Amino acid sequence: MPILECKELGKRFGGVSALDGVTLAVEPGRVVGLLGPNGSGKTTLLKLANGLLTPTAGEILINGERPGVGTKAVVSYLPDREYLPDWMTAKQLMDLFCDFYADFDRERAREMLARLGIADTMHIKQMSKGTREKVQLIMVMSRRALLYLLDEPIGGVDPATRDYILETIIRNYNPEAAVVISTHLIADVEQVLDEVIFIRDGRIMLQSSVDAIREEKGMSVDQYFREVFKC
Amino acid sequence: MLGRLLKHEFRATARVMLPIYGAVLILAVLANFSFSLIDATDSLFLHILFIFFIVVFFIGVVGSFVLTVVVMVSRFYRNLLKNQGYLMHTLPVTVHGHLWSKLIVSLVWFFATAVFILIVFLLTGLIQTNTGIGDILSNFPSWAEVKEFLAESGFLGQGVLMTAELAVIVLVEALVTCLHFYAAMSLGHACAKSKVLMSIVFFVAISVVFSILENVCVIGFIAADAFDSIEHLSAGLGAALGIQIIEGAALYIASYLGLKKGLNLE
Amino acid sequence: MDWSFRNDLPIYAQLVERLKLGIVTGELTPGARLPSVRELAAEAGVNPNTMQRALTELERAGLVYAQRTAGRFVTEDTAVIAASKTAMAESRLRDFLTAMKKLGYDRDGIAALLTEKKEEQEHADTGM
Repeated sequence: MPILECKELGKRFGGVSALDGVTLAVEPGRVVGLLGPNGSGKTTLLKLANGLLTPTAGEILINGERPGVGTKAVVSYLPDREYLPDWMTAKQLMDLFCDFYADFDRERAREMLARLGIADTMHIKQMSKGTREKVQLIMVMSRRALLYLLDEPIGGVDPATRDYILETIIRNYNPEAAVVISTHLIADVEQVLDEVIFIRDGRIMLQSSVDAIREEKGMSVDQYFREVFKC
Repeated sequence: MLGRLLKHEFRATARVMLPIYGAVLILAVLANFSFSLIDATDSLFLHILFIFFIVVFFIGVVGSFVLTVVVMVSRFYRNLLKNQGYLMHTLPVTVHGHLWSKLIVSLVWFFATAVFILIVFLLTGLIQTNTGIGDILSNFPSWAEVKEFLAESGFLGQGVLMTAELAVIVLVEALVTCLHFYAAMSLGHACAKSKVLMSIVFFVAISVVFSILENVCVIGFIAADAFDSIEHLSAGLGAALGIQIIEGAALYIASYLGLKKGLNLE
Repeated sequence: MDWSFRNDLPIYAQLVERLKLGIVTGELTPGARLPSVRELAAEAGVNPNTMQRALTELERAGLVYAQRTAGRFVTEDTAVIAASKTAMAESRLRDFLTAMKKLGYDRDGIAALLTEKKEEQEHADTGM
């Protein structure tokens, strides 16, 4: 069964359509890139998948279930903004995740934090912006979830941090889980992706494997994307 | 899950509330010194200083009630409707869980602030009148005397019922006050634009509607000669409680729907 | 190991080439144990499925073999490695010849250029 499935999914905000007729499926064990320009509906799609928005048309299913308490327990979401209470220490943050998520691997989180030199007692507000972003990623990737939704994980970070983020995603790969990475920086993530979904103006333009695009079009996904989305 | 939410809520709110209590304590200490020393000196400067401390203390007392409300409301806002909402609403917890954890914690802090202020005043009173705890206790009627008084005055029966009703009403009113804010904010933030403005609009609208509702009921009671006997008064309180419960339920439903269906974090 | 990728070929194919090169040059010694798929993928910065596909190709080519619990190992069969080396050399030679032809060199011209370069190199070696 696909981990994430959309059937004619639609979302309107007032008079504006953010998503329209979205139909797609993501199988377990895949790393999928959700690629599109800013404002194409990527974030809206991810928010629908983790229950932060409700659909106005169609359906979205996680492991066959509608988004709710059950799906939230198996979905690990990294938003594209800072969302952690800044008064917390690293330890309190891990306590929180342990308390609410049965699939949180505390040892793994501690190990990754230690490797970054982050002490248990450090407060989030004491950390630099880059470190905070890494901490958010560590928390999300330390869960043994079935679906990881990463919204622009490498936007606005330096190349070394970018490599760290991609390496963390690779190392935490689990063949029973799926990873959806939404980004507009395609060249940087292409090597990590199994499949890509092109989205524009709230509509899906294609869903294909990376290998297929390279073999059939003789160019990288990044190059193909530029062709397809030429202004 | 609710237990864990409560633990997290208390942890997050205590770090703001406890310093407030600490500040009030310091003001109380200063005020007590001021009360005691004010007659012991002729210095104008010290007189002004002491009066200042006493005034600030009273402001602090009133302020602590106001601050408690402000802290509870802003906690809901920051934690569920701003960036932290990305964390909270993706936890495997129901909206009911979020609402009740915030409500219960708010109630506890309201109660705690009231008790705290009461104790502070009591201690201040004791210190200033040079009364010891022993003096107070010796003036207390014995338990036997209390029982006798209760039995004779007819306080048991209607009186107890009324006291219980009053207590429940205070509790429910506190809940309704919280829910008033929560519903206004939840509904306001479900709007696509001008979320803060719409929250204020909803708040005022709810106030107006409830005001009208309550006044209509009061007029109805007066017309029905509801205040001419203790039995009727008790029934009147019961009706008032009923109205509060209805308001509370409506506000709870509004908050729930606003968060469940209308959530739209920036 | 240096991992850099071209845009126009599937990544798994490029991984196969890169690993083959490592085995043929001895960078990956015969009989050596390879890191896990995940480790290799993380090193190369690629999707583990893609790395898996590349390793499966190498297994099929006989350059790598898997032992159920022990992991993956580079083959000790020097004949297979030598054959791969030859095949890679021939492929590069073919590419070289095509490129030179595009520049306008014919076969004699290429031979003359190679001899010239060889003499230059020997001169430089003895002169040092």
